Amino acid sequence: MRLLVVEDDPDLNRQLVTALSDAGYAVDSATDGEEGHFLGDTEPYDAVILDLGLPVMDGVSVLEAWRREGRAMPVLILTARDRWSDKVAGFDAGADDYVAKPFHMEEVLARVRALLRRASGNASSELSCGDLVVDTAGARVTVAGNAIKLTSLEFRLLSYMMHHKGKVISRTELVEHLYDQDFDRDSNTIEVFVGRVRKKLGIHVLKTVRGLGYCLSEPDEQA
Amino acid sequence: MNRRNSLAFRLIAAAAAVSIVLLLAAGVLLSSLFTAAVERSLDARLQAVMDGLLASVELDGNRPKMDKALADTRFEIPLNGWYWQIRPIGGAKDRQLASASLLDERLPIDQFNVPDRADGARMAGYMRDRSGNNLRAIEQRFSLFGSKELYSFLVTGNFDELEAEVSAFNNALIAVLGLLGAGVVAAIFFQVRFGLRPLSGLQAELTQIREGKQDRISGDYPVEIQTVTDELNLLLESNTEIIERARTQVGNLAHALKTPLSVLTNEAGLHGGPLARKVTEQAGIMRDQVSMYLDRARRAARAHTIGSVCDPNDVVKALVRTLERIHIEQGIKVDASYDAQVRFRGERQDLEEMVGNLLDNAFKWNAGRISATVRPARAPIDNRISWLEIIVADNGSGLPDGGAEIAMQRGKRLDETKPGSGLGLNIVFETASMYGGKLSLGRSELGGLEAVLTLPAVGSAG
Repeated sequence: MRLLVVEDDPDLNRQLVTALSDAGYAVDSATDGEEGHFLGDTEPYDAVILDLGLPVMDGVSVLEAWRREGRAMPVLILTARDRWSDKVAGFDAGADDYVAKPFHMEEVLARVRALLRRASGNASSELSCGDLVVDTAGARVTVAGNAIKLTSLEFRLLSYMMHHKGKVISRTELVEHLYDQDFDRDSNTIEVFVGRVRKKLGIHVLKTVRGLGYCLSEPDEQA
Repeated sequence: MNRRNSLAFRLIAAAAAVSIVLLLAAGVLLSSLFTAAVERSLDARLQAVMDGLLASVELDGNRPKMDKALADTRFEIPLNGWYWQIRPIGGAKDRQLASASLLDERLPIDQFNVPDRADGARMAGYMRDRSGNNLRAIEQRFSLFGSKELYSFLVTGNFDELEAEVSAFNNALIAVLGLLGAGVVAAIFFQVRFGLRPLSGLQAELTQIREGKQDRISGDYPVEIQTVTDELNLLLESNTEIIERARTQVGNLAHALKTPLSVLTNEAGLHGGPLARKVTEQAGIMRDQVSMYLDRARRAARAHTIGSVCDPNDVVKALVRTLERIHIEQGIKVDASYDAQVRFRGERQDLEEMVGNLLDNAFKWNAGRISATVRPARAPIDNRISWLEIIVADNGSGLPDGGAEIAMQRGKRLDETKPGSGLGLNIVFETASMYGGKLSLGRSELGGLEAVLTLPAVGSAG
């Protein structure tokens, strides 16, 4: 899961990036509206955390521009202006949720989780596939009740596949959603990661679709 | 409004009073001038008779005698008011001479007895004869040829015959002056109305501004008023500007304070220890204080802005739309009903804060159903102006008995398990009070809480 943080305050920006990275997301960040708009317009983010009071181009304009250009990723807005008119303006511009400043980081994390879950059509923070259960809130993975220990990148991969259960995901797409933009990408490493995750899970849910990519589905759907 | 204390009344009353006094004076003057003219012409005729008498009277011994009769036959009809008489001053009756019309009556001449009167000086006056005729009399005194004795020559005419002429003139005069007076008063009335019409135009515009239907005085006014309207426009602009500025600064302050507070809270959250706990605790207090005072400053800056009006339907629609998205997981469609005619007399932002908090509460406490209603007030606070009601109801558990009082107090929360600052209902309550409106909490038909917000609306009391 790859996220974008657009926040002009350097300290808050750093805190958000750190907290979200620690929670297992690949995170890019921007400190002004124009840069934020450019990134959101060109990179395939799974969700965006967008401050409304931004220099160069304000948050509402950025959001409106994205929606006009057909970018549909869920957007969580951060606003110091917690008047209802600001909330209405934010939601009318296309926001999916908001957090009023000052906030606790846990609240942002919870909202982001909820947004990602909603975007993939899941009602619960626990995603399951057969015996496999991924708790996105606690970043825990179990198979038939037994905890599986995954690295951050492995968890990110599994979590992305779980959020897109039943869909064929190409390697390129996986690369785009697992790494932030500064990462030296190499799609061959994906194969290595997939192999490690399969081994750790011990059940056959991550399948290779030849020439297209990977698909996560229930073991008994295997044909 | 007291109609007597109006410019129109003052102008009309003053002008009417002056005109009536002047017209009355003119009437009196004209009437006396006419009477004097009538008198003068009668006197001239009587003088001609007097001259005839003088020419034809002579002394026969010591008695006056006419050598030929006067041509005017009026002096022969008995007691018709046309008389002449010649008598010696203080002389005996037998030496008197009089017209046939006087029969044996004689007219007194005492009123003409004034000291140091020159010979031949004419005097005029009024007297009555035996049959009550009003007589105009002229008298001259001469001594006749051959005698030193002074004779009084008196000629009278019947003034009653002329009185009719005078009163006919007076009647005509009253009629003409009356008409003139009415005409003048009507002219004054229209003049004042016409002259003051720009003022009623200005008043109408100010009403429009107060009701928020326009934001400046736009009409074309006479120069005397134009200066006032220009000043009023400047005043309105500076008023709006001051409020705008205050609002912007409050917003900027909010933004400026809240981001560092977030940084502090989060930084402290990352590190454990007593210092971090203290920072977290104090940052929390600061956050609450900041939002409380910002909220207060915001409302004070907005209080009584001239002429703000907004459509409550738009506000409720926007908030319902937003809150349905915020709480998208509840999957609730708010059952909303609107009244397109209703307009809130106040700031849109204030209404948004009030309705936003009420709806937010409903989304927090409902058990699946929420309704919102905008309508003219069924229980207006008074009848001076009209009121509107915004009713937000849910099917949650509602408030416990006596909970309404506590719910509206600042910082009080009846259920500490749900998130919130405890400021929501208090903000609604205080903002509604600021507008002279009220918030009442009760049990809804849906079973949960029903919040009825009564606020001033635009339009006269209905």
